[in-house]
Formats: sequence, structure tokens, C-alpha cells
Amino acid sequence: MRGPTQILPTDRADEMLINMGPQHPATHGVLKVVIGLEGERVTRAVPHIGFLHRNHEKIEEARTYPQIITYTDRMDYVSGLQNELPFILAVEDLLGVEVPDRAKYLRVIFFELYRLASHLVWLGTGMLDFGAITPFLYTFRDRERILEIVEKTAGARMLPNYFTFGGVRRDVHPDFFKDVADFLDFFEKRLPDYYALVLDSPVFQARAVGVGVLPKERAIARGASGPVLRASGVAYDVRKAEPYDAYPEIEFEVPVREEGDVYARFWVRFKEMEESIKIIRQAIEKTPKVGPYKGKVPARMKVKGSRYRAVEISRGHLGAHVVGDGTDRPYRIKHRSPSFANLQLIPDLLVGARFADAIAILSSLDPVFGEVDR
Amino acid sequence: MSRMPLPLDRHIKPKLVGYDPTRPRPGVERLAYTLFFGSLWALVVVAYGLVPALFRSQGWLDGALGFFFYAVIEALLAFGIAAVVALILIVVLRKYLGKVQERVGPMHYGPAGVLQTVFDALKLLGKEDFAPANVDPLIFRLAPAITFVSAFLMLVAVPVAGGWVMADLNVGLLFIVAASTLGAYGVVLGGLAQGGKWGMLGAFRAGAQLVSYEVPLALALLAVGVYSGSLRLSDIVEHQQGLWHVVPMFIPFLVYLVASIAELKSTPFDLPEAESELIGGFNTEYSGMSFAFFFLAEFVELFLLPALVVVLFFGGWHGPLFGLDPASFAAQALQSFYFLVKTAVWVWIFMWIRATLPRFRDDQLMDLAWKGLLPLALFGLILAAFLRMFVEVV
Amino acid sequence: MSLLAEVWEAVRAIGQGMAAVNRRVGESAVTEFYPYQKPEIPPVSVQFLALIQNEDGSDRCVSCLACERACPSQVITIERKRNPAGKGFVLERFDLDFVNCMHCANCVEVCPVSAIVTVGDFEHAVYDVNMLKADKAFLDEIGRRAQVWYSPKFGVEIRKPDGSIEKAPPEMQPGGLAELLAGEEGA
Repeated sequence: MRGPTQILPTDRADEMLINMGPQHPATHGVLKVVIGLEGERVTRAVPHIGFLHRNHEKIEEARTYPQIITYTDRMDYVSGLQNELPFILAVEDLLGVEVPDRAKYLRVIFFELYRLASHLVWLGTGMLDFGAITPFLYTFRDRERILEIVEKTAGARMLPNYFTFGGVRRDVHPDFFKDVADFLDFFEKRLPDYYALVLDSPVFQARAVGVGVLPKERAIARGASGPVLRASGVAYDVRKAEPYDAYPEIEFEVPVREEGDVYARFWVRFKEMEESIKIIRQAIEKTPKVGPYKGKVPARMKVKGSRYRAVEISRGHLGAHVVGDGTDRPYRIKHRSPSFANLQLIPDLLVGARFADAIAILSSLDPVFGEVDR
Repeated sequence: MSRMPLPLDRHIKPKLVGYDPTRPRPGVERLAYTLFFGSLWALVVVAYGLVPALFRSQGWLDGALGFFFYAVIEALLAFGIAAVVALILIVVLRKYLGKVQERVGPMHYGPAGVLQTVFDALKLLGKEDFAPANVDPLIFRLAPAITFVSAFLMLVAVPVAGGWVMADLNVGLLFIVAASTLGAYGVVLGGLAQGGKWGMLGAFRAGAQLVSYEVPLALALLAVGVYSGSLRLSDIVEHQQGLWHVVPMFIPFLVYLVASIAELKSTPFDLPEAESELIGGFNTEYSGMSFAFFFLAEFVELFLLPALVVVLFFGGWHGPLFGLDPASFAAQALQSFYFLVKTAVWVWIFMWIRATLPRFRDDQLMDLAWKGLLPLALFGLILAAFLRMFVEVV
Repeated sequence: MSLLAEVWEAVRAIGQGMAAVNRRVGESAVTEFYPYQKPEIPPVSVQFLALIQNEDGSDRCVSCLACERACPSQVITIERKRNPAGKGFVLERFDLDFVNCMHCANCVEVCPVSAIVTVGDFEHAVYDVNMLKADKAFLDEIGRRAQVWYSPKFGVEIRKPDGSIEKAPPEMQPGGLAELLAGEEGA
């Protein structure tokens, strides 16, 4: 019995096997990577996942549709709210629910706020992996402001359970638009500091440029998505490819970079934060200040048929395939999660790199294990 | 089924232990730092000025017994200085990082948290000094001591004022290099003795890093020695009477600055520790007092390496004396004050660098040392020789 | 020369980073000292759930079982019996197991009479897991102590010092924006 992920003790005298994780500060949760080291050079890397497996898809088969939204939040807990959307979109399509304009824009604002929050967490913890402690505290402070804005309206910070079929669950707090605009002004002032501390820092550039290069073909073949794919020169963004909610009415760019190294992945996420600011500004302008926030939804949901919808969450292409058999519970739900696919790149990227590079590459992939293991 | 008692009235009524952390006390904090600095200065004056003066004036130094007592007392005082420096710098570093990171830093022990290190030390003393199963027991215990002693040895050769130095060695520079190299042994042995893979990797890195950096460091020091015409540290300081060495010796200064940060094992060169990569590296398995010794050594070095920057490049104790006779006791006390102030500024710069930069990779570090700093240091050495010739001819 | 320019560029970039760090020294710290300084919790925040009683002390809850059905982790248990003195039901037992509660507030969402609400009361850490299994008396007690709470049906409500319950002003209400804007236009 030798499964594909099993690794036998090494018989080479110059190779040392080391278990990185599941309790390792740089694995961002519960990843275990068995790394073979030859000095400082990685000779093989085998990721072991499943330490956070909670059987999401099976649990969801036994829940009614409104109940499932709560569970979808728990996948990528760093950008919690974003996970609700693909499932909700799929069910809305199957039920033929009409979403009011205001709800569409509100969804976009919240969606992008969570992208900012998630990228800030990534930036802070990523720089922690690079050995700089200070950006970590700055980013978490900024993220705190986003979460406070969200809490005022949605009632929770990380897993707000705020989107629902036909729109959003409740109307926004009266201060919401002002708060968000204030935050964006504040954050725009903070961004140059992050550039100075991270992207422009020569030490960071020395660590990141040319490290962990992912060629375009390899990225496509492995099913990578999100910033990882865009850093390899593929301009694929679900927000552009199959727009949802109010994204068709909003102008924004998809930052792409050709190099495919760690620096490119950092750069793409930085630019995405800037794009998010633009998107939120436009959305605030275009949102009708009053109006319905929720469309008409049948009280008893009997969903029949199957539908796959995807959204672009902070980490990439998150999809939900919902199969309904005409009862109030789904027959089957399948989530397609970006971190899981991105994690397949570990052996490709890590082998041949130095051990310190391995940490840098892992943090540039930005996996969240709630979503990898589900 | 029995129902629970209502936990409603179990709200934690916060009871203040010690000082109120919610009250910022900038005045108290400033006073505490002044006191820290003052006590350090007082200790320096006693150890370097008063005790030697007393022994000399009584003529006790001539007898073997008198000299023995002198040595013992001086050693204890040096240890005291090292301990006080570490205790102060730990809390100052934490407070500084707190300020930089929009936090408040330690706040609970002592007014505005200024006594935090004392309690930290007590905690570490009370902890079990745990050793994992497959350590080499002797070396495992010896390594922290080696590191601490080497840091502490460097203190002996540092002159703090005109004529105030514990051991005025005529090979002071070489002694400094030797003592700091000894510290690398502690780190490498400690990493290898603990029998863990992280420690072993940390030891590899420490070995590679410290060997790479000793060479440019020594060459930079040598350039200063060549320029000032002596390896005795007090002569080097005397030589900076008119012009601080940082101007003619700018290149060795840069080399020394980078190399001493690497020597200190702080970011951007904290590879042997690298808590996000190696989970602590060479001190992964250390706890209790063994860990405290590594920790203390690090902070003693955080004082000594900036102090050496001051001694070698920034005029040591030189400063305006306001007409005092340089050989008088008051002038010497003032000189030691100047020395400590300059050192404090450089400690701050070292902390500032530590707060800003991410970490280098091991091969980049060696690249920088062998391909960047070594040629630069050699160039500096040649330049120093030419300058020396020029000075002697003119 | 290009090497010198590169080195200069690197030093300048490091200097910029150090300046960025140093700028923060003057800024005030954001640390909250939790047990001594309590955070402000907005009333819509799902910190804890409570059962609200009417001003006369009767239950708002009509035992319709909507929350029990809506709960994703199935932590609500309701027992009821027919009201002997008229129509409807009388609540006999209302258990809420906070151990497994996910704080999604789906129960608050579906309640037709705003009996179960979210309150900003969050200090309910206990040493024994079993103490988190709340019964009706406990939930009622939290409701009685609550000064402000939220439910989608009635919005944010406030208990006045004299014990009467009334709707909070629109500045506190989710969706109060429409009312505020209308008021501005009228004025």
C-alpha cells in the first residue's frame, strides 16, 4: 500500500526528511509538507492535507437551502462572505429569483471589502513569513476597520452570513456608505507605506524576484486560478469572464503580470487592492440610496435542476455546483475551491528551491485550509 | 435533567493587579527611561572609574591578593553592567516596537510596564529547564553559557572614557574579534546538540552566516587599526581627537555596520533563528534559564556592537568638555556620558532597522558577504593604508 | 557606475521603508485593554441570543417552531402545548445549546414576532461546557437585562428606563437611511 501522497524514509545519506507542519508558523493553518532537504535545497515536497476536513458537502446535503448559506461561510474563513455567493447565485438561477439593483451593488461593495480584508491578512502573514513583523500589525489594524464596518451592518465580522437568496439579509446601517468612503480614503493613504515596506524594499525584492517561477502552461494545466494564475500571464478573472451581480456595470482592470514568480504574485495582489478601491468607489456612487434590498423569494424552496456558478474570491475561482431534486434539500453540492487547486502546485514550485524560498512560495500561494479541506 | 446555574452574574469583574494599564503615562515612562540610563551611567562610573581609582590610590593593586580581589570585583561589576543593559534593552526594544507598530507594548508590570523584564526574568527562572530526549546533555547546557560569556567578554575591552577601561589590551581589536567569534560556537553547538532537525538547520545557517561575516568584519576592524596605527581601542579613540573615523573610514564603517547586524542575528540577518522558517532555529528546544542566556547574550550584543560602532567610528568618548581638565574625574565621567549617549543613538538605529526589514535568504547573505562586503572591506583596508601613509608623510 | 546607482537605489528604498515605520511612532496606539475597557458592540451584532418578553411580562414567543426548523446546527428544542384558554400554544420548554450554535442568526431572521433577538451581550464565557446549554429562564433573563436588541421584524428596539419598549431612532436602524433621507427632504 503506497498511496501517491505517502513518502517512505529516505535511503539517501545526503537527504534529510523534515515534516513542515501541521503546526508550523508558516503553513497558515494546518498544512503538512514533507520536505526532503539536501542542505538547504528542497529535493522533494509532498503536501498532506485533510487536517481540517469537516465534511462540508455531505453536511450540506442534509440541510435546507437557507441553512446551507451558513455553512458556505466556513470554507474560506478569511474572506468569509465571498463564499456565500456562488451557491446563492446558482440557487437564484434555478429558482428564477430577480435580484434588485440595490442588492446587486451592495453585494459588490461587501464582496470587494472582503477582498481587501483577505488581501490584508495575506499581506501581513506573508510578510511575517519573510521575517518582517511590522507590516503584520499594520495590515491587521486596517482589516479591523473593515470588519467593524461590516459588523455594524451584517452583525458579524468574519462569517457574517449576510447574503441571501434575492439580495442581502438586511438593509445597511445609515452610516455605511460614509464609513466605507472614509475607510477608502484612509486606506489609500496607508497603501504607499505598504509599497515602501514590501514591494519596493530591496530585501524583499531580493527574496521574491525570480523565485518560484510558475510558467503559464503549468499554471493552466494545474488548474490554478486567481492571483496565482494572473501572475503567470493569464488574464482570467471570473468577474470579467462570466460577470455576476453588478460587475458588468463597473469599470475595472484585471492586473496581469508575465513573470510568474513570487514578486509577480505579490504585485498582482497589491494592484487588486487598488482595483478594489476603485470598484467600491464606483459601486457606492451607483448604488440607489433607497430601495428594496431583497427580491421576492418563494417561502418554501423547491429547487429542481442543476446549475454551476462561479465567482472570483480573493484566492481565485470559487464555484458551486448545486443539484436539486425538487425537495427543500439539495441532492448534491460540489464546491470547487481555488486554494485546493493552487496547492497542487507545491511539488512543482518547491522542488529545487531553497528552504527559505519554500516558505516564500507557500505564502505567495496564500492557501486557506478551511477551503482546501472543506 | 439538571439545568445550569445562570452564568449571568459570573461576568468577570476586572480586578486590577498592579498598575492600571489603561492609563498612558508618558511622564512616568520618560522618567523610567531616564532612571534606566542614569543607573547604567552610575554603574559605569563605579565600575570603570571609582573602583579602579580606589584600588590605585590605596596601592592595593601591587599585591597578588589585592589584584585578585580587584579582578573579582571588576568581573562582578561587568556582569552587573551586562545584566542591567540586557534588562533595560529588552523592555526598551519591546516598547519601541510597540510604538512603531501602533501598539502600547508591555503595560502591566510597573508603571507603564517599565518593569516587564524583571518579571520576565523571574518567570524564566521559575520555568523548568527542559531537555528533550536525544540531546547531548553536556554541550546542550554548555552552549548558552559560551554564547553569554563571549558577549560578556567583549565588554571588558571597551573603553568608555579617557583611561577608563577594564582591560586596556594592546590587541583590543583582535580580542573583540576573537570574543565575538566564540559566540558563534555557542550558537552552532547549541543547535547541533539538541538533536532536532530545526536546530540542526539553524546551526548550519549560523555556521555559514557567522563564518561569512567574520571575515569582512575583521577586515573592517583591521582597516581602522591600520589607519589609527594601533590595535589598542583607547588609542583608536584618542586618534579621533580632531576628526571622527566615520569620515575617512566611511567604507569600513559601512562594512562594519552590515556585518555587525549579521553578527547580532537580528533582521534582516536573523537566519539562524528565523522563527517563521525554522521555528526558532538554534534555540528551538531551549527553555527556562538556558533560553534566557541566549536571550541575554543577544541583548548584551545589541549594546556592545553599537558601542563598538561608536568607539571605532564615532569618536568614542569625545565631546565638548567645557574647559575641564581631560584627566580629571569629572571630565572622565562626562566622557563616559557622551559615550553612552552615542551608543544609545546607535542602539536605536539598530532597533529601527530591525523593525523595518524582512529577512535575507542564506545564499544571498553569503553572496553579500563574500562578493560585496569582502572586496569592499579589502578596498577599505588599502584606502586606510594609503591614508595612513599620507597622514604620516604630511 | 550602474552598480553604484543600484546600491544607492537600494539604500534609498530601505530609507523609505524606515521612514514609513518611523511615521507611525507619533500615532496613537489602537490597543484596547479588554476587561477594563469594553468595546462598543452594535445591536445587530450576533453576540448572544435572547428571548424578549412583552412589557407586561408575557412571552412574545408564540411557539410556532420556525426557529427550530431554520436552525442549521439544530440546537433549538421547543416543547409546547395547546392553550387551554383559547387558541394558539403555550411555550413549555425552549432550550438553546450555545455549544453548537454557529451564531448565524437564522432563527432571528425567521421569527414572526421578534421573540428571539440578538443582543450585544458577549461576556458569557464559562468554565463548564454544560453551562452553555441555555434554557428558557436563562434566555428570558438575558432578554430582561438587555437594553437594546435587534430583530429583522421590528428593527432595533430599546428598553426605556421605565421598562417600556420602543423602536430605536433611525440612526441606529439598519435601513434607517431611507427614513433619514425622507426626513431631510421634508425639512
